[in-house]
Amino acid sequence: MAISAQTDADAAAEAPTPGLITRLARGNIELWANLLVITWAIVFMAWQGTGFAITIGTVFAIWAILAVSLNLVVGFTGLLSVGHVGFFGIGAYTMAVLTSNASYEAARTDAIPTYGWPFFAALPVAVVLAGVVAVVVGVAFNRFRDDIFVLVSFGFAIIAFNTFLNLREITRGAFGIHEIEKPAIGGWVIDGELEFLLFSLALLALVVLVSWLVVSSSFGRVLTAIREDEEAIAVFGYRVTHYKLAIWVISAMMAGLAGGLFASWTSFIDPNSFILLESMLLVSIVILGGLATIWGSLLGAMAFVLMEEGMRFLPFIPPEYVGQARQIVLGVLLVLLMLFRPQGLVGKYRL
Amino acid sequence: MLELRDRQNTLLAIALTAATVAYLGWKVVESPEQALQFAFNGLSVGAIYALLAMGFTLVYSTVWFFDLYYGAAAAIGAYGVYYLRSQEALGGQYEVSHPSLNIAFGVITAAVVAWALHTRYYRRLSRRYGERTVTVAGGVIAVLAGLYMAVVLTFPTEMNTLLSPALGAIVALIVYAVVRRGYRATFGAPEPAAVVAAATAVGVLAGGAIALAVAGAAGSRLYLSWAVSCVLAGAVGLALYRGLYVYMLERARSPLIMLVATLGVLLALTAATTIVFEATPRPLPDAFGSDPWTIGGANIKGFNVFTIVMAFVGFAGLWVLLRRTSFGKSVRAVGDDEEVSKVVGINTTVVIAVVFFIGAAYAAFAGILTGHDTAIQPRMGLLLLLKGWIASVVGGIGNLYGAIVGGFVLGMIEQFGIWDLAGEWRDVVSFGVLILFLSFWPKGLLPRRD
Amino acid sequence: MTTEPADRTETTEDYSVETIDVSKHFGAVRAVQELSVSIPRRGITSIVGPNGSGKSTFVNLLSGVLPLDGGMVILDGVSLRVVHAHEVPDLGATRTFQEVRLFDQISVWDNIMVVLTSRKLLPALLERTKQEHRDEAERILKLVGMWEKRDSLAMDLSYGQRKLLEIGRALALNVQIYMFDEPFAGLFPQMIEPVKDLVRDLRDRGRTIIFISHNMDIVRELPEHLIVLDSGRLLTEGDVHEVLSREEVIEAYLGT
Repeated sequence: MAISAQTDADAAAEAPTPGLITRLARGNIELWANLLVITWAIVFMAWQGTGFAITIGTVFAIWAILAVSLNLVVGFTGLLSVGHVGFFGIGAYTMAVLTSNASYEAARTDAIPTYGWPFFAALPVAVVLAGVVAVVVGVAFNRFRDDIFVLVSFGFAIIAFNTFLNLREITRGAFGIHEIEKPAIGGWVIDGELEFLLFSLALLALVVLVSWLVVSSSFGRVLTAIREDEEAIAVFGYRVTHYKLAIWVISAMMAGLAGGLFASWTSFIDPNSFILLESMLLVSIVILGGLATIWGSLLGAMAFVLMEEGMRFLPFIPPEYVGQARQIVLGVLLVLLMLFRPQGLVGKYRL
Repeated sequence: MLELRDRQNTLLAIALTAATVAYLGWKVVESPEQALQFAFNGLSVGAIYALLAMGFTLVYSTVWFFDLYYGAAAAIGAYGVYYLRSQEALGGQYEVSHPSLNIAFGVITAAVVAWALHTRYYRRLSRRYGERTVTVAGGVIAVLAGLYMAVVLTFPTEMNTLLSPALGAIVALIVYAVVRRGYRATFGAPEPAAVVAAATAVGVLAGGAIALAVAGAAGSRLYLSWAVSCVLAGAVGLALYRGLYVYMLERARSPLIMLVATLGVLLALTAATTIVFEATPRPLPDAFGSDPWTIGGANIKGFNVFTIVMAFVGFAGLWVLLRRTSFGKSVRAVGDDEEVSKVVGINTTVVIAVVFFIGAAYAAFAGILTGHDTAIQPRMGLLLLLKGWIASVVGGIGNLYGAIVGGFVLGMIEQFGIWDLAGEWRDVVSFGVLILFLSFWPKGLLPRRD
Repeated sequence: MTTEPADRTETTEDYSVETIDVSKHFGAVRAVQELSVSIPRRGITSIVGPNGSGKSTFVNLLSGVLPLDGGMVILDGVSLRVVHAHEVPDLGATRTFQEVRLFDQISVWDNIMVVLTSRKLLPALLERTKQEHRDEAERILKLVGMWEKRDSLAMDLSYGQRKLLEIGRALALNVQIYMFDEPFAGLFPQMIEPVKDLVRDLRDRGRTIIFISHNMDIVRELPEHLIVLDSGRLLTEGDVHEVLSREEVIEAYLGT
């Protein structure tokens, strides 16, 4: 006994997939977006040379880790968090405090405690600490939804920033922490630009792999269902709060990883890297690239990095305003996307 | 009145409230002077949060989303005053004047005027004078209005002279309308020609007197710059709604769409402000001098008292508008059900647009008051926005009383919260309290009654 | 688990769902007032009543979607003062919603798969799609005639298809009690018969089916047991034919 699909006439046989050119001509936005960003990246790097490509690549890797991790929460679970930079900062500060150079610190009058740990010992701690904070924050945030969730996540970002700024005994406040350790395996220190790029890309690959495993598992499917209707999925026996908390913590740990990497890469951090605005830019990247796709976040991060670099070469933008100009472009893009394409360039979920 | 989630939470909430009260009581007994000082500071920052929260509440209870543009509106308000006053009040030190900005705001003004004329008069007048004539006439008026605004922005040192005719005309119209309405309300009959003539005469006289007074008083420029800034911020808010949000609301599936879009607006406008005015904090001239009075051991600044008074004035103004006018009725009807309001003949687009104008103007005024009290910088709006947002949520989303109560409560919490901490932990305290508070009272102190 | 042991007692009864003085109010509106019913095991029960009589609220209370304001629910012999939605499948029940709550932006296939997979967090994280789940999803989708549509998003389906898919999603859960909130509303006439067959098939397999309906033809034909609600109160309950012939039912609800 089965019901045949007789309600709609559109159960017709699917047309064969049209070719690349046809799809481009039809204005397939996903394809255009992919082509544009990738071509742009290649042309730019070819034009500017290897050194440029290496810097860009590292910046990209860090933003991409952040974007992919945030997409797990925003795109797959439907929790629009603007507080992700807090976990990024926790990772970065953990790395900085644990690994900053002890002799350098001792020479300062306003010394903070240092431990002189190696990078690879500090990185897991950074990740775990971000996760632990995420558990606390997540338990407190679990009951909030929609716009109130956005508001409290703003709140988390501000609390985190102010803590970095004002907990001077540990973070040295606005003066920042110098001499942060580079990763070293045995006697081999990853301090060359190229080596660091490869290392960052390796971590990005790891994050992408883990994210892919998460979203393609049964767990990931439940997340999307939570995003669509929390109450309905609860009726089928899922403890929604546990799932939300789990993905929140996973995502925060990835952000902590990005933070550790970032601190080591710049070797100097201060609270200005962790302001609320960065978090808002990050959300923009995730939405721009595409919600609920990992590839979209990579694309968004690449577009974001290229946008800034591209603007340096526009004659009518003074160099000191490049960051602001990019912010304007992002803001306008965000508005346009919400109007015409609420899933982002290659996204699978419309807000 | 207060709805709690369940029993454990009730206990926790009671314990927390009791602890807070005990802490406050202990503090007050320990040092009454300081308590007074903190209370006063709390009221004066609270007043600013309350103003923002009122704007938020007004918009939220009409269209049910939070307009993050208000962060930018606060900055636009403050920088508007800065822009208009920079040539004389700041010793010419940071003089700014951009023709392109003047033109841009002129265009926005023209667009808003054109829209207002179109929605208000087009249908009625085009039947009498023909569509073409009305369109052209409306266009000319709009362009003139835009030019007028651009001229005012270009010559801020002559602002009082330039604006006096407009101000006079507005006062004249208001007096005229009040006299006629008053006659009708008192006698319950259509007014005779003599009364109309008298109303006209009184209106012209009052308007003329005001215009002359303003033109002659150089000191009025500061207050005129407030008004102009608020109007401009409001006009941008209105233009954003009519030009952008309307189309989004049509297809928005969730409030998050609007939130993200307004976030985009906020990002873009904040960056634009930074480009025009640079990121460094700047002063605004202090309107009321800075010598504080000492009352009961507390230092009280005149300007802060003024701020607190303004919050109540703003509240009273909105209250009258919402509760005592037909416009207020339409606003509440739209908030209850937009579709039904349309059916019963309310022009919802106009109502919502005006609501956006008022909300943004309130936010701008809050920005101006903060700017005078401390300093201004392009990113100031973001934090103000969040505080106003919190205040409106803590007070009770969508409730006007909640907005003012929430604003003052947040201000007090922030000030008393940093008594034993350093002042820099202020934001941590207010957001920490927000999160705790929302966990126990998700609907706020004074929930909106549906 | 926040439910205290005293709140739960195992009983063996002939009823699969019982309620004792269940109440729910929204502000001043008393949606359900001290409702006590006994729904027999292995059979079809229908809940009828005019609009606003509390039918949907009642099902929401039974399934833990709304918290109880008072009274007790006995699901499959377990007495509960607090019904947690996520425990309801373990107690042997599942449901559909009146307003059709599918997971809109995921595929039809995933809409079914999501209720088949592991409920536990860690196993779910490690679980890839299993063949047994695939087969079950295929069976369900074919059963409700949605196999061809498996790759479209749930939001792109027509109303009738959405309704069917939601029934399918409930059927994917192999439980004792199925609660359908207005399964026949808004269906094309030619779709009603197959859904009836699905319900009968469930009964033949020994399940308890509770459904809300406005369609009196179906109410006369399908269920054995009938519950009539009016303004949140129980008007009457009992054998269908007997209830339908009672004076007060005819007066209060059926009218003519």
